Amino acid sequence: MSTAPVLEVKGLKVDIPVADDVLHPVRGIDLEVGRGETVAIVGESGCGKSLSALAIMGLLPRSARLSAERIALNGESLTDASPRRWRQLRGDRIAMIFQDPMTALDPAYRIGDQMREILQQHRRVSRRAARERSLELLAKVGIPSPEERLSQYPHQLSGGLRQRVMIAMALLCEPELIIADEPTTALDVTIQAQILRLLRDIQRETGIGLILITHDLGVVAGMAHRIVVMYGGEVVEVGACDAVLGKPLHPYTEGLMRSIPVPGETRRGETLGFIPGIVPRQTGQLAQCGFIDRCPYAHATCAEGPIALREAGGGHLMRCVLPKDGSGRDPQAWIRDTEAV
Amino acid sequence: MATVFKQPPPKMTLSPARVALRRAARHGSFWVGGTILAVIILAAIFAPLLSAHDPALQDLSQRYIPPVWSEDGSWEHILGTDNLGRDYLARLLYGARVSLLIGFLTILISGTIGTVLGVAAGYWGGWADLIINFVVTIRLTLPVVLVALVVVALVGSSLTLLILVIGLLLWDRFAIVVRSATQQLAQREFVTAARTIGSSTPRILFREILPNITGPLIVVASIELAHAILLEAALSFLGLGVQPPQVSWGLMVAEAKSQLLFRPWMIAVPGAALVLLIFAINLVGDAVRDVTTPEGKA
Amino acid sequence: MLLYVLKRLAMTILVIAVTSVVAFLLVHLSGDPAAAMAGEGASAADIAAVRETFGFNRPIIVQYLDWLGRVLQGEFGRSYYLRMDVGEVLAERMPVTATLGVAALSFALLLSIPLGVAAALKPNTLIDRFALWLAVAGQALPSFLFALGLMYVFGVYFRILPISGGTSWVHFIMPSIALGYYATPAIMRLTRSGMMDVLQSDHVRTARAYGLSPWRVVIRHGLRHAIVPVVSLAAVQLGFMLGGSIIIESIFSLKGIGYLAWESIQRADIEVIQAILLVIATAYAVLTLLADLLNAALDPRIRIS
Repeated sequence: MSTAPVLEVKGLKVDIPVADDVLHPVRGIDLEVGRGETVAIVGESGCGKSLSALAIMGLLPRSARLSAERIALNGESLTDASPRRWRQLRGDRIAMIFQDPMTALDPAYRIGDQMREILQQHRRVSRRAARERSLELLAKVGIPSPEERLSQYPHQLSGGLRQRVMIAMALLCEPELIIADEPTTALDVTIQAQILRLLRDIQRETGIGLILITHDLGVVAGMAHRIVVMYGGEVVEVGACDAVLGKPLHPYTEGLMRSIPVPGETRRGETLGFIPGIVPRQTGQLAQCGFIDRCPYAHATCAEGPIALREAGGGHLMRCVLPKDGSGRDPQAWIRDTEAV
Repeated sequence: MATVFKQPPPKMTLSPARVALRRAARHGSFWVGGTILAVIILAAIFAPLLSAHDPALQDLSQRYIPPVWSEDGSWEHILGTDNLGRDYLARLLYGARVSLLIGFLTILISGTIGTVLGVAAGYWGGWADLIINFVVTIRLTLPVVLVALVVVALVGSSLTLLILVIGLLLWDRFAIVVRSATQQLAQREFVTAARTIGSSTPRILFREILPNITGPLIVVASIELAHAILLEAALSFLGLGVQPPQVSWGLMVAEAKSQLLFRPWMIAVPGAALVLLIFAINLVGDAVRDVTTPEGKA
Repeated sequence: MLLYVLKRLAMTILVIAVTSVVAFLLVHLSGDPAAAMAGEGASAADIAAVRETFGFNRPIIVQYLDWLGRVLQGEFGRSYYLRMDVGEVLAERMPVTATLGVAALSFALLLSIPLGVAAALKPNTLIDRFALWLAVAGQALPSFLFALGLMYVFGVYFRILPISGGTSWVHFIMPSIALGYYATPAIMRLTRSGMMDVLQSDHVRTARAYGLSPWRVVIRHGLRHAIVPVVSLAAVQLGFMLGGSIIIESIFSLKGIGYLAWESIQRADIEVIQAILLVIATAYAVLTLLADLLNAALDPRIRIS
């Protein structure tokens, strides 16, 4: 399976000019997604993961400035792509699934009409052919009585069904890459599992690349092949799923792991760890580690200059000066009584 | 502990009114509109000083003198004279008085009616709200111009009647906006707090509700002021508003209508004055609205 | 949904009924209708005769109920001046006013909606500022002045449009513009703000994310939602236009019911005035009802409840 990666991104930056200043919500990230691979992008709100996704889709707001060394979809370079080219690709070669299916679908049109619209935009198909294809996909995503659903409006479906419809819509034109931005956050826990399983099955079947954006580490385990951890607009850790979850190297990842209760392990009354502080400012260039204000291991070296990504073996990268073998960490550091200033 | 109280109280932070005023001062349209409005008001007040002529004095030997900038014009009559030899500038200035007077008096009446109804509907809700909403609907269903024309035509035209009729017709927007503002306020904590400490209803209304609806109230007042002035002009244009020997810009346009072909300036002058006045009022109202809307607040 | 329609219908009927009472009282209690109808220079005997003939001496409630009874049977009375059945006169003049109203509204919509959409698509640019400026200017210009201005420019100076009469469609051009532009600022602003909101919505983001053409995104998924409140506003504005037609029709000598109202007011032709007030009020109430129903039909969220 030595084909070119589905998606290649190098040095992606997003700047947003505001008032007299410039925000840097994304500070140069690299990303690679291979065929049939699921890459999870994990991070808290404001870390730039959603904006990165929008940038990859060419959907940034008008005021944002995008710059990248390379953005390539299946080898085709998109850094200088025209808006017209982007429109051709979106929905066809690369599709996005959004967080809230309630608002993502247009309430004024039937499901069938919305699906046909996409098909007719990218393919020259007849109404009948569009209908058949739509039914095929609704069935594939596990929606019962698909004929009925086609003539229904979004508000007539439950949240879980709506999200399945969104997935079906994403698959209409057999894209190479699907970006799912928090696809399960707005759903019930039981439905979450179903949707994730659906995504995984589809991927196994079709071999599409999948980018899973989430702030929920629980979603990641069992779904992702690789994990990209983002903080403050930067990638702070990358690696195989098991490696990152089993032995987190960056303090932020470690903190994230510590703050999740583990069913069966965490006991009642046990204090959960937490990462104090708030999301960092987005202005100005980083002259030191971006996590320094919230890191329990911070020391002088961390403030000397911007920290580069370091290889820790086996494709596991981390943006930290701490030892690469995982020593020098203290899990208890995350359990504190009060917020340290 | 006693020493704490001996010190003077800390400087009060700016009240919302002061904040609003400051922000209005930075708003370009506030200054433009305000200046034009001030000029017109001053011109109206000082009319006798600005023109030596009597606006109602007819002099048939001086008919249709063109304004000073055309060939046969003279500085004697800067804006010329009309079909009855009356000085146009004087008529313009005294007409300003009528427009402004009628405008302000009518919004006083309609504003009071509308505010009372709006506060009642917004504060008490329930039946009061239903009934007042119904009354507003009835008012909206009646065509204003037509009703005003009918009443004035049948009762007889006088300035007092005109002011009453317009004032009793233009209160709907006041009621609607004040009702909405009162509803939002009535739910807020400081009103509940006032009620908890036992403030009587009139007290709550006057001290909590009214001061806080002045923002939207001023905005509506500016809209309705413009509306009232336009309505009076339209009525006077149709001959059922201000009557001679009193002057009104609408009346001036009506009298000059026949001269559309040969002496368009006779229509243009009072017309421009009217447009300028309304424009200025709208600018000021817009500025106040921009400054008092919640999203605009710092 | 059916319940909603019935409720609104009942309310409309109630509104029309109460409005008719108010209108009746206004006409019959403003001064002395008998003296007004008899005209200036009429003797006391003449006035008494008029009062007798038209029953103005009866208690006002009786007068109203009598009138109401006749109206419900389709009898609007007789014009004192024209010596014609009021119903006939109205039927004769109605088409002109209806045409004027529709034409004026069409003009307003054709101008404001595209302008509002364009302004929303490119906020704070030239087109946006132009649109907002146009709105401000439009609100400051009284309709009679605008009408005179149009007459001067197109009727007198360029001589390309007729300034009076109503025999051909060309005669309706200036009156429609003069009557319709006053609704333009409100419609434009509402369209603009509605579009700006909807363009930020999630489903528009989805439409863009699927590469739909800009036209589709803006119109099918954007304007489709933003236009809902505009429909209501347009219907209400049409109602206002019916009231404002009196000025425009008088200036352009269009023989509609506005002009008829004007003539009847001058002649104190009570029965006609009464009937016209009722007709316009009813039209406004019905238009508002239609606006609400259209709103409910178009807005998918209202359909749910």
